[in-house]
Amino acid sequence: MSDSRKEIMKLLGDFSTIGLTLAASIFVGVGIGYLLDHKVFKGRTAPWLTLIFLGFGIAAGFKNLYMLTKRKDL
Amino acid sequence: MEHPILFISVILEAIGLPVPHGPVGETLLAKIVSPHLTYTWLVMAFLIIVPKLTLGKLEMVPGKGQNFWELIIGGLEGFMAENMGEEGARLMFPMLATFAFYILTSNLIGLMPGFMSPTSNINITLGCTLIVFTTTHILGIKFHGVKYIKHFMGPIPWLIPLMFPIEIISHLARILSLSIRLFGNIMAKETLLGILFLLAGAFFAPLPILFLGVFVSLVQALVFVLLSILYFSGAMEHAH
Repeated sequence: MSDSRKEIMKLLGDFSTIGLTLAASIFVGVGIGYLLDHKVFKGRTAPWLTLIFLGFGIAAGFKNLYMLTKRKDL
Repeated sequence: MEHPILFISVILEAIGLPVPHGPVGETLLAKIVSPHLTYTWLVMAFLIIVPKLTLGKLEMVPGKGQNFWELIIGGLEGFMAENMGEEGARLMFPMLATFAFYILTSNLIGLMPGFMSPTSNINITLGCTLIVFTTTHILGIKFHGVKYIKHFMGPIPWLIPLMFPIEIISHLARILSLSIRLFGNIMAKETLLGILFLLAGAFFAPLPILFLGVFVSLVQALVFVLLSILYFSGAMEHAH
């Protein structure tokens, strides 16, 4: 494979990961909040920890996007 | 949907082993002879036997087989060295090259009729991802010791309560995104090929998807290795 072709493949791989990483962060955040609410605290704190960790998950997703803009090799 | 004909499963069924028809069997024996495991063993046997046959004895002036493998191994090592530095590349080369060969071969094997991709089962990709995830943190602790926790703290001291859960979540999200990306792409390729072959196989309907399948297999193997390299080098460098 020539150099420009290799570069295109690498960039394609890099950028195809953005969307899924954002979605996965949000899902992991909601999952942790739900587990804490319903398994650890037995539903006493019902919607609140889920909502707080949803916020953390969204923040984590956008932090990943921000870190991608700071990468030097792109 | 029609069950695809997998030749190893057919042979094992003829011997009398309980090959499961769903994704995962009930008993331990049925789990061992389920298709994604038997095809994993086929890929492993392929990757052990074929280099042994083609490589022969290492010589100063390489022959045809040795030239081929030197090109591939050299290209892979150069790719890793430019992304994670010489030292890290030498340390992590055996593991990442194994992942690259295994994932590439098992992606491509599904394009042949009678074979399936082991990576189209989420258990296989989740196993690979958990190995990468564990190795990342082992490397971090090995290179930084207790100070590795600074990677999770962020740059500003009074933001630690906010940054710590965010960092934990983004590390856990790597497991999810890395495993589901590989599994989803390969499973989509396999299912699409099966359906198109069933509907209009006589009119070469799967042909464009076969072409795209080669491309997807290459890109997904490359992406898995590239992201593993990025995670490893992120754990090895100093905290920001």
